[in-house]
Amino acid sequence: MSDVIADWKKYVCRACGVIYDEELGDPDSGIAAGTRFEAIPDDWECPLCGVTKADFVLYEPAVAVAAACAPAQGAPSRTPGVIVVGGGTAGWAAVEAVRALDPDIPITLVSACSADRYRKPELSVSLSEKRTPERLVFETGPAAATRLGVRLVAHTYAVGLSPALHQLRTTAGTFRYRQLILAQGARPVAPSGLPRELCWRVNDLSMWSSMQRRLTAGRARVAVIGAGLIGCELAEDLARAGHTVTVLDVSDRPLATLLPTPASRRLLAAWTRLGIHFLPGRSVSVEARRGIDACAAQRTSNASDACNASDARTASGSVADVSATRSEKVITTQHGERIAADLVLCAAGLATEGRLARMAGLEFARGIVVDSRTLQTSVPDIYALGDCISFAGEPCRFIEPIAAQAEAIAHAVTGCEHPGYRHQSPVIRVKTRSTPIVVRGLPSRELDWQIVEEDDGHLAMAQYRDGDIVSSLTVGSRRVELAT
Amino acid sequence: MEHALVAEESSADTWCDETVLERVAAIARGPLAAAAPRIDGEGVYPLDIMGELGAAGALGVHLDRYGARFGLSLAAMQEASRACGSTGFLMWAHDVCGLYMEQSGNPSLRGARLDAHARGQTFGGTALSNPMKAFSGIEPMTFRATPAPGGYLINGTLPWVSHIGVGQYCGAIAAVHRGDGSVSHEVMFMLSCDERVELRHCPVFSGMEGTSTWRVKLTDYFVGEADLIADPARPFVARIKAAFILLQVGMALGVAQGGIDSCLEVEPVLGHVNRFLHDRPDELTAELDEAVSATQRLARTAYDGSTDYLLEVLDLRTRGAELALRAAQASLLHQGARGYLMSAAPQRRIRESHFVAIVTPAIKHLRWEMARLSAEELPA
Repeated sequence: MSDVIADWKKYVCRACGVIYDEELGDPDSGIAAGTRFEAIPDDWECPLCGVTKADFVLYEPAVAVAAACAPAQGAPSRTPGVIVVGGGTAGWAAVEAVRALDPDIPITLVSACSADRYRKPELSVSLSEKRTPERLVFETGPAAATRLGVRLVAHTYAVGLSPALHQLRTTAGTFRYRQLILAQGARPVAPSGLPRELCWRVNDLSMWSSMQRRLTAGRARVAVIGAGLIGCELAEDLARAGHTVTVLDVSDRPLATLLPTPASRRLLAAWTRLGIHFLPGRSVSVEARRGIDACAAQRTSNASDACNASDARTASGSVADVSATRSEKVITTQHGERIAADLVLCAAGLATEGRLARMAGLEFARGIVVDSRTLQTSVPDIYALGDCISFAGEPCRFIEPIAAQAEAIAHAVTGCEHPGYRHQSPVIRVKTRSTPIVVRGLPSRELDWQIVEEDDGHLAMAQYRDGDIVSSLTVGSRRVELAT
Repeated sequence: MEHALVAEESSADTWCDETVLERVAAIARGPLAAAAPRIDGEGVYPLDIMGELGAAGALGVHLDRYGARFGLSLAAMQEASRACGSTGFLMWAHDVCGLYMEQSGNPSLRGARLDAHARGQTFGGTALSNPMKAFSGIEPMTFRATPAPGGYLINGTLPWVSHIGVGQYCGAIAAVHRGDGSVSHEVMFMLSCDERVELRHCPVFSGMEGTSTWRVKLTDYFVGEADLIADPARPFVARIKAAFILLQVGMALGVAQGGIDSCLEVEPVLGHVNRFLHDRPDELTAELDEAVSATQRLARTAYDGSTDYLLEVLDLRTRGAELALRAAQASLLHQGARGYLMSAAPQRRIRESHFVAIVTPAIKHLRWEMARLSAEELPA
């Protein structure tokens, strides 16, 4: 009762963590119980480490989270089983495939994120559908771990690998494995001039969610740097979500490495109808500029001038629908143009991080080198799949092949017969809804594209070698479809 | 404390790799092994042995002026730590202090002062535990500096600074406060433990009592040009951070190796029951060998400033601590009651291994830092 009235406070020593509790005092130093901290002489010293009173600060205990965060599934086992690194599509595919073949083998999944399960391709279309991160998750990491009997070690990074010891080191401790499956994915590259703290990248749900939260404030001027697959898909999704979008690329047209000019041109035409502004042949750098004043946060609905820095400040338009405290980014091109944006999205491609592979002595060529049939790396008992691998020096970062890769690995890991994985170029479906694009086969830069069929809303092209079809593509659909 | 210096000629010319290792091994297995129980139990500060190690080159070969032989320096520290973890820690503190002096580029620190330091004729350590944690966002900076004509005035109390004493010195960092109380930057300086500095006893620890660890209280302590290591401190610390952490690995691996030694020592008599233990010496040796080779590889590029390199060093330092813990634990389990005697190495090494695991950067700090460096940085 007296406690309530007295409202005793506690003070913590910043040096050693000792707590001075006013209620208890420090009788050993002659401070009676019930002595207010302010009433203690200034030359009083910490009873443990001896720093002075000035080094104590008010102690407000943080809510204990340790127990709540601890992985609940599966008692730690001394039997080294299978460890999967990566909680994305590839990691879970590997877990599902291994578990299907062996109900008992211990499986540990180490994931940098929460390992919640979602369908990655949906990230390209979800802004315009007003989807929230919660709605994109179809199964949480812990739920999947329980269902599959997996020990989930979430929010944990793999930092060291010693194949000779069958040892994986992580930020949650050291694990032994019988077999290791690397499904660590790839990371968006941040070219020099595009600082990570200023430019968004989208390669997983957490990155997407952060950007999505940032965009909920209202219409924003968005600059997308890079007109590859991800850049094109997200640019269109952003535009459909009501944002003012400018796309910049070093090439003269979008999807230049994948598509022939006539196909890109169709996409550009659709973009014009959507209000997406494309700036070809630009190499850029980005820097922050603090909002000059509240007016700097004014937004205009006029797409043609919205992304010009000088215009943005004078344009009349709807007021401050993005927080004025946010800093504005300024993009500078090689021609000295300056373009203002509220949000810069860098879609300059992906790269596999090679540190873990290299320190473990795994062969690496733009990705972890794997056997094309077994998916084993150059080191026994270590397999890899998904975005982190490469075949003949070529990464293949699509969802489609992952299930078959996981199957092959699961059979190898459990010692079951398997005819072997056969790598095929996946069908590429570009989720640009104004102009759906589908590419089949392996387009070659040496071969010309020939028009097979063409009308207002549809283009079909193909590449031939010695009369045989090598690749084909369609842009749009046969039915005439107007952009909506 | 009087410095019991060794009469032996300390000539850097004789510091070739083999000679350094031979002489360090002789010291470690001879006088240091004999002194280890007293260093631990009675808190004897082994400056005589540090002087011998300095004369042998063990405290100088990592410096640029002696060929930046970090691998040799680490091997020497490992050899000494195998006999006595406290001495290994003193070597680390001494090594990084020398590194601060040399890398400072300050002529007054690099000349005769560094000569004497590198040869183990004078002694000094490091007070960077708190600043390192402060730079990583773990805790606030303790020393406060205010600009004064020709330098700074430093105030504050830093608990637990090792390898110092009256007449010795250590590298330290203070946050520079502006008039309005805000922090403008940090300054790194050589702190001389002269009459201006109040050294107070620390509470008794369960181990490492021979490392001359004091609480340092500064009241308007003036730092001038001649004692500045880096101003601002942050870029300097970023440059030496990997080397600072890498050097500790010698201590970790030495303690681990000592533990393995103790396991093997009783193998002839207790092997028939010890085979029921996990973490057997052969397993531990395989891990130690791998860690040693990783250490020697990373030691070739101690000033590699990349994030990837730092991550590898942090990982190695973590491995070292984990291995020291396991090997020390195994040594006691392998030796049983004889290892539990107060005079026995295993019980002492258990406390040494715990120190390796909690001294800055502790295992938890290392993992925190590795997680921080691994995370994808996104706009705020």
